Amino acid sequence: MLDKRLVIVSGKGGVGKSAVVSGLALLAQRHGLSVLAMEMGSPGGLSAHFGIGPLEFEPREVRAGLHAMRMVRADALLEYLAGQLNIMGITRFGTVARAFDALATTAPGIREIITIGKAVWEVDAERWDLVIADAPPTGQIGSYLRAPKTVKELVPSGKIREQADRMADTLKDPRLTGVVLVTLPEELPTTETSETLDWLNQEQLIPRPQLVANRVLPELSNEEVPAGPIGEAAQLHRSLWEGQQEWLAKLHTDVQLPYLFGLLTPGEVAARICDEFEALI
Amino acid sequence: MTRTLLVTGAGGVGKTTVAAALAIKAARAGLRTLVVTVDPAQRLASALGVEQLGNEPQPHQREPNLWAAMLDASASWRAVAVRHADPDVATRLADNEFFQAASEHFPASQSYAAADQAATFVQAKAWDLVIVDTPPSGGGIEFFTAAAEMADLVGGRLLRWITGGPLPGRRFLFNVAARPMLRLAGSILGSDLLERVAEFLVDLRTTYDGVAQRGREIESVLRAASILVITTSDPAPVGEAIRFYRELPGLASAPSSVIFNRILPADWAHVEIPSSTSPELTQNMERWSAETVRQQDTREEFSARYGAQVATIPWSPKSPTDIDGLAGLLDGSSGIPWDEIGVSAPA
Repeated sequence: MLDKRLVIVSGKGGVGKSAVVSGLALLAQRHGLSVLAMEMGSPGGLSAHFGIGPLEFEPREVRAGLHAMRMVRADALLEYLAGQLNIMGITRFGTVARAFDALATTAPGIREIITIGKAVWEVDAERWDLVIADAPPTGQIGSYLRAPKTVKELVPSGKIREQADRMADTLKDPRLTGVVLVTLPEELPTTETSETLDWLNQEQLIPRPQLVANRVLPELSNEEVPAGPIGEAAQLHRSLWEGQQEWLAKLHTDVQLPYLFGLLTPGEVAARICDEFEALI
Repeated sequence: MTRTLLVTGAGGVGKTTVAAALAIKAARAGLRTLVVTVDPAQRLASALGVEQLGNEPQPHQREPNLWAAMLDASASWRAVAVRHADPDVATRLADNEFFQAASEHFPASQSYAAADQAATFVQAKAWDLVIVDTPPSGGGIEFFTAAAEMADLVGGRLLRWITGGPLPGRRFLFNVAARPMLRLAGSILGSDLLERVAEFLVDLRTTYDGVAQRGREIESVLRAASILVITTSDPAPVGEAIRFYRELPGLASAPSSVIFNRILPADWAHVEIPSSTSPELTQNMERWSAETVRQQDTREEFSARYGAQVATIPWSPKSPTDIDGLAGLLDGSSGIPWDEIGVSAPA
């Protein structure tokens, strides 16, 4: 993943997507890359793993060479309009931005293309070696990846349409773009991941994703257990492990991250996941 | 009178399962009970006897007092808008290319659909108890704000943004080309897109009175409901549970309890491990002790900081596959506010 320019990380809500994003970002930083981590979904997860307060649209340096930002659609829109049209000087600029926002709510593809477009634009601008996107959850990722296509169908002319093709090309190029789907060995995340994989395979909008299963329990041997808590804990562990294996068998996972026991801060979780990835290299 | 119980919490904490288990207990205590859920796991749906999505409550085949409904939230919001439109507007809306997108994009449209359906079931007065497993979208809080938000959107906020001020009627000659700023936006998006969207929003706006009235009804149902917050002991769902405690009192009522799901036995916190124990089992016990301590600390802090009534449900390793398995989930639970549900506490 570290030799790509853009890594898109998605997964069902609650599977630890932000933890994986922060782990990957720390790993890339450790290997000397300049990295931008971009929070696209609901705010808060990524910044907690970096041990800092809320992120803003303007990237801030969280480690040497590692920046993090939060996607804010209105800001991305202003940046886009300013960059594309050079119209910052014009008065009543807000009118255009609000009209756009109304459109982004009503017309399919517009809000998504502004969000995904920001990530692609950061890649094109070559300010970073690697952009890692903490992308919207798998339930919504389809409409984001399909956005260039949707916009071309909807908009007969105009600048956004002209850029849609280029955006789709970047997303599809396996040399530039990598995709990670995070999942848990449980029923709902497994089902959703499997549906997402089928859809992605059919649409061919991005390279084949790498699958990361999070919170996987270690196997416990079958030795006899004593009565009391030690035995009970072993039995619970084995039952949970068996349940997890049943779901793991349904997906071909590329990476399994261990269940992290005990009291860990989000920052400690990110560091542990970074070490796990390091061990795989 | 129909009691309403709203079960809220982050995704993945077992909210749907707990809502279902509470419903079975209530049904078995003699209350005619409806449990309403959005997108349950397949196994849970089979256990509840609702295999098909549909907004009609299905009676359970084996439990005489239990009904279940699995909401198709994508369809409901559009149905509400069309219901409040004049016939010719309704026809135009039904064919509109933007309607589908708007119903997916309007912030809170899924939550709105769920709240609207839930209110409909409560108003039907056909059940003693309606238990709603609220959708996790928008951090879950959205379920409580959706009705007001939708009325505002339909009422013309978006339309005002496009016209830059006055709200045009259907007959108003809406001419994008006459407004320089909109012409500019048009050059980025293509010539007639803004106009087509504005036409759609003008149509949508005619449904405002109906949608706003419905919003007030939904709000009054939600305000009269009891609220349970479900969480595990993990930091992310606990963070969401804290949000409910902070924000719900202003929007509905304060949560009556927070239920911590997947709880480990208290006596695992500090275990004397005999030296004869194998290294593997020793390590395993130490790990689960650490988990147990973390869980206890999390609950204590929550209770101390937010004055919350705390309930617990033990961690059961297998997801239940039938109705008795579901009911059994609450064995060993403690602190469940049965009186809020209208059931006397199990012995």
